Amino acid sequence: MMQWLAHPWLTVRVQIALGVIFVVAALPKIVDPPSFAHMIYNYKLIPWALVKPMALLMPWLELLCGLALILGIWKGTARTIIAALLLTFIIAISINLLRGNAIDCGCFDVSAANKTTEERFADMRLVILRDIGMLLMAAQLWYASTRERALT
Amino acid sequence: MNWRKHFVEAATLIVAAAACAMVANAFASKERKLVVVPQSAPRPVVAAPQPTPEPIPQPTTTAPTTATVSTTATTTTVNRPPATVPKKPTPTPPQPEKTFNPHPNTAYIEIHGDDVEALHKKGSLFLDARRTSVYDQGHIPGARPYSVWESDIDEKVNKLFTERSDPRDQNLPIVIYCSGGDCEDSHMLAQKLWGIQFNNVYVYKDGFPDWQKRGLPIHTGSAP
Repeated sequence: MMQWLAHPWLTVRVQIALGVIFVVAALPKIVDPPSFAHMIYNYKLIPWALVKPMALLMPWLELLCGLALILGIWKGTARTIIAALLLTFIIAISINLLRGNAIDCGCFDVSAANKTTEERFADMRLVILRDIGMLLMAAQLWYASTRERALT
Repeated sequence: MNWRKHFVEAATLIVAAAACAMVANAFASKERKLVVVPQSAPRPVVAAPQPTPEPIPQPTTTAPTTATVSTTATTTTVNRPPATVPKKPTPTPPQPEKTFNPHPNTAYIEIHGDDVEALHKKGSLFLDARRTSVYDQGHIPGARPYSVWESDIDEKVNKLFTERSDPRDQNLPIVIYCSGGDCEDSHMLAQKLWGIQFNNVYVYKDGFPDWQKRGLPIHTGSAP
């Protein structure tokens, strides 16, 4: 089982899939930074002064890391940054879920959706599960690279 | 694991991302640009009290300009002495504002549909705090686009200040709305206006969705 988990066939596909997901997620945010800044502000977790710089930087970081994974350049670093981003998203959404602040996650779409509070909470729970899934993909990449290094 | 190599690669990715972001932002259109240089940050939101009726009519020259909303609720209670007004045990739904006097100690007052309609009929200034792209899809007739998230917001606010430089004009009611619900854009804009001496700002609590629900006229396109 563990051997299959580190198989290059699986690793390459996971790497490309994770890269594509991050590229796709980055594009709408790059196109419309003010909407993404609005989404970040709605999380009510970071100081106002950091909202706009973060809205500008984060999508480009997602794009570059996604491209790095797709192209197989600096895979280890890109994977680590992506894992850190995913962990941050999971924590940020969980905090808002716990404090009852219904938000649109702004993960793949930055346009304000006309959703009810209940729909938003349901979406937030799904997003956490989805992000955990992606975190597991990053963990698989890490496991495969560690195993590969041990064998060489 | 080569931590130094890892760190250098991470730093390079972050620097490259920052450079791309700055270049892209520099070439972005007005509606899509973010102004990162210190801008007036939204102050901590002042607790917005519910509209309090002001029973004493103002004997000033501004009195005729104050809106009087004639509803059944106001006509039945208007001549009764306060002591004889029966106290209702349950809270009543929000009562329409009778007057819209300046409130220099509060950034804004939240109002509901009936008051908004009255102010609209009166010809008060309406500001739409939603994104310009959303404004174009439909807005309250006469409303101007004032998205707090777009780069030209300070320019627009300054223009409004110049337009209404007379203190009397600054006391005229201004209604700000966004998408209702959790939307805070109108509150942020209200804080901004209050910061430059606009003392009679109202936030349409239920926002544009409520206006639509009431079947009131809507304009589309970029013109107010």
